[in-house]
Amino acid sequence: MKATAAIFRRVIGDGKVATASFALVFAAMGFANAVGYRRTYPTARERLELARTFGLNKAVQLFYGRPHNLLTVGGYAAWRLAGFGSILASTWAVFAVVRALRAEEDHGRQELVLAHPVSRRRVYGASVAAVGVAAAVLWLVAALALVAARLPVGGSAYLALATVSPAAVFAGVAAVASQIGATRRAALQLSLAMLALAYLLRVIADIAGGAGAVRWATPLGWVEELRPFARPDPAPLLLLGLVATALLASATAILARRDIGNGLLPARDTAAPRLGLLRTPVGEAVRAERGSVAAWAIGIGTFAVTVGVLSTAFSKANISTALEHELRKLGGASIVTPAGALGFYFVFFVLLLSLFACSQVASARREESDQRLELLLALPVGRARWLGGRVVLGSLATAALAVLAGALAWVGAAIEHAGVGLPRLIGAGANTLPAALCFFGLGLLAFGLVPRASVGIAYGLVVGAFLLQLFGALVGAPHWVLDLSPFSHVAAVPGAPFRAGSAAAMVAIGLAATGLAFVSFARRDLFGN
Amino acid sequence: MPTPAIRTEGLTKRYGSTVALDALDLTVEPGEVYGYLGPNGAGKTTTIRLLLGLHRATSGRAELFGRDSWSDAVGAHRRVAYVAGEPTLWPGLTGAETLAYLGNLHGSTDTGYRDELVERFRLDAPKKVRALSKGNRQKVQLVAALATRADLLILDEPTTGLDPLMEQVFREAVLEAKQRGQTVFLSSHILSEVEALCDRVGILREGRLVDQGTLAELRHLSAHTLEVTFAGARPRIPELAGIHASVVDDATMQFEVTGGLTELLAELSRHDVASLTSRLPSLEEIFLHHYDGAGGAPGA
Repeated sequence: MKATAAIFRRVIGDGKVATASFALVFAAMGFANAVGYRRTYPTARERLELARTFGLNKAVQLFYGRPHNLLTVGGYAAWRLAGFGSILASTWAVFAVVRALRAEEDHGRQELVLAHPVSRRRVYGASVAAVGVAAAVLWLVAALALVAARLPVGGSAYLALATVSPAAVFAGVAAVASQIGATRRAALQLSLAMLALAYLLRVIADIAGGAGAVRWATPLGWVEELRPFARPDPAPLLLLGLVATALLASATAILARRDIGNGLLPARDTAAPRLGLLRTPVGEAVRAERGSVAAWAIGIGTFAVTVGVLSTAFSKANISTALEHELRKLGGASIVTPAGALGFYFVFFVLLLSLFACSQVASARREESDQRLELLLALPVGRARWLGGRVVLGSLATAALAVLAGALAWVGAAIEHAGVGLPRLIGAGANTLPAALCFFGLGLLAFGLVPRASVGIAYGLVVGAFLLQLFGALVGAPHWVLDLSPFSHVAAVPGAPFRAGSAAAMVAIGLAATGLAFVSFARRDLFGN
Repeated sequence: MPTPAIRTEGLTKRYGSTVALDALDLTVEPGEVYGYLGPNGAGKTTTIRLLLGLHRATSGRAELFGRDSWSDAVGAHRRVAYVAGEPTLWPGLTGAETLAYLGNLHGSTDTGYRDELVERFRLDAPKKVRALSKGNRQKVQLVAALATRADLLILDEPTTGLDPLMEQVFREAVLEAKQRGQTVFLSSHILSEVEALCDRVGILREGRLVDQGTLAELRHLSAHTLEVTFAGARPRIPELAGIHASVVDDATMQFEVTGGLTELLAELSRHDVASLTSRLPSLEEIFLHHYDGAGGAPGA
């Protein structure tokens, strides 16, 4: 019992930062959507118009799924929170479970635990239970935020449950993937691929005409059928519970039979030498990062084609004036023209590219925390040369992804004859760069000054700034607060003209921060974990 | 005087309020094999991190071949090869790829010697690092460092995880390096290894260098044991300066000698001695001597 408690506490401890961050995001989303709706659509007439226009918009359903009731505060909050939050909760569950199960094994720590008089089943049970408790925290925080926004307690609890419940299924998926893949990376790839598939099925069910039955093929679709604040039907919860239980049980069954340290899929442990990229640290980094950059490229590329296709989805006829006004606050341009819609969507590319830049900071930090950097710097490799390589690599990869986003958005737009040319969309991609590079510089500066906290700070700045942009205007925050977010200084190109001054300022901040990062990194000790 | 391979002056490192290294003055001459002894946590790895400019000294300075460890780290490292105590390499690279990568970064590698070392250490070169055991990862690092033929090898507990056969191969390789005139700084807590390889030894305790010298010099300072068995009952031996006598059994006595032997031998010659064995203190005894009674437990 003592051993189980110890494992339980460790898993809770390892995941507490991620859990707290997601809880914060859920709280902000729940509260801001409810309060914002009440402000923006105070009367029944405005709400009806919203439901008739925006609610039926396929582009919007891409993110939030299908709405059930947009005439009440609860119904609107349910659509915005459960639709997108369920994807977030599933992602959180995948990372939490893979961290607790496969990452521990990948690092060889699980062997140490299992050498004690404690069974595999018990270690597994304690780890999964800890993730379950963390999920309950997410549920509670989301529910409290909704109650704080003056929604009824019962409905809030049910909506929060709808948002968090798919985490159970994807915890099961990640538990099985952790038995199949031999490395953390393999388990994550497998689980996230399943999540992407589930999302794709939901998109098809929501957007393609007559494909509603597909909704039953994806856990994210079952969540939609829970219909909080509309016509609640908790039956799909049973389905979610059954599938989650079946997955978690199969993971235990596999675990009972396999070798610790290996997965069902054998890892390829030998290889003929490929020496091409091993001349410099930056070459090695390219080699190590190319898989993850390719995954980002696929994700960003798919999203870009989709938004290109959807750029013609808004028109004066299908969007309410109040909403157009609300969206104007986000992007600054009217979204009823294809160029305006694309400008609106490209705000999300600013987010994605900034997150990618953070992943590059995290990769640099990992080289240090794994103490590989000690070996490099004990060779005739200078600190500035190493960091410089990372900076150049991160900037170029970000730029390449930005251009890719523009080019593929053009492909999608061309399919729909949206009439926005390639140069304008490449420009829209490039326009996302200054903000991403600003965040990259700030992340690097954190790496130079406070290496142990740097990864959290880098991601935290991006997510915090984005939430401020998304909800700050909605809840009526003062201008100077909104202006703190770099997102508010990105023009909605191609819908709005490029703002050279803002772009230059963000690049300048990024460069200055990067410069300071070099100075501070040159003066400090190297830190392991 | 040639430029020392390693020279530190008052080298001090504090982490918060903990003093990890306290005013270290150390000189290692070119061609020397220097054993750096101390239990876990004595400050050995801290010293090496300061020598390599990975951590910044709180005060004092360190030089490798006359180049400052901190401000001219890259210049200093051209003549240095390093083996880390915790072999965390690049998990996705194979052994051969790791050797190529580290060799490229160092800039000079004797590839013929490297291939020979791969054979001698029986390295499974096509295997990826993440599938290698700790000892095998250590072998990758050792081969990479030795193959550079660098003027100074800085080795931080290099034989952790090696089996006895490989430890023998390691010792041979260090002796070869010594014959070629390379300098070796060997941080270790394996006393037999230091005793077998090192010209000079420094003993570190809680961040301070408490003793330093050749093995012979260190032995001078410690007791040297004489065990005497008499034919018949043991006689009464008077107290002598620098001699500590103790009784083993009816016929046998033991003498711990810290001063001269002459008086004791003169005294013994008056009795009927059946056998006499003399034993120099082992490095282990010298080492334990520095840790005894000071609360510091010797390293395992």
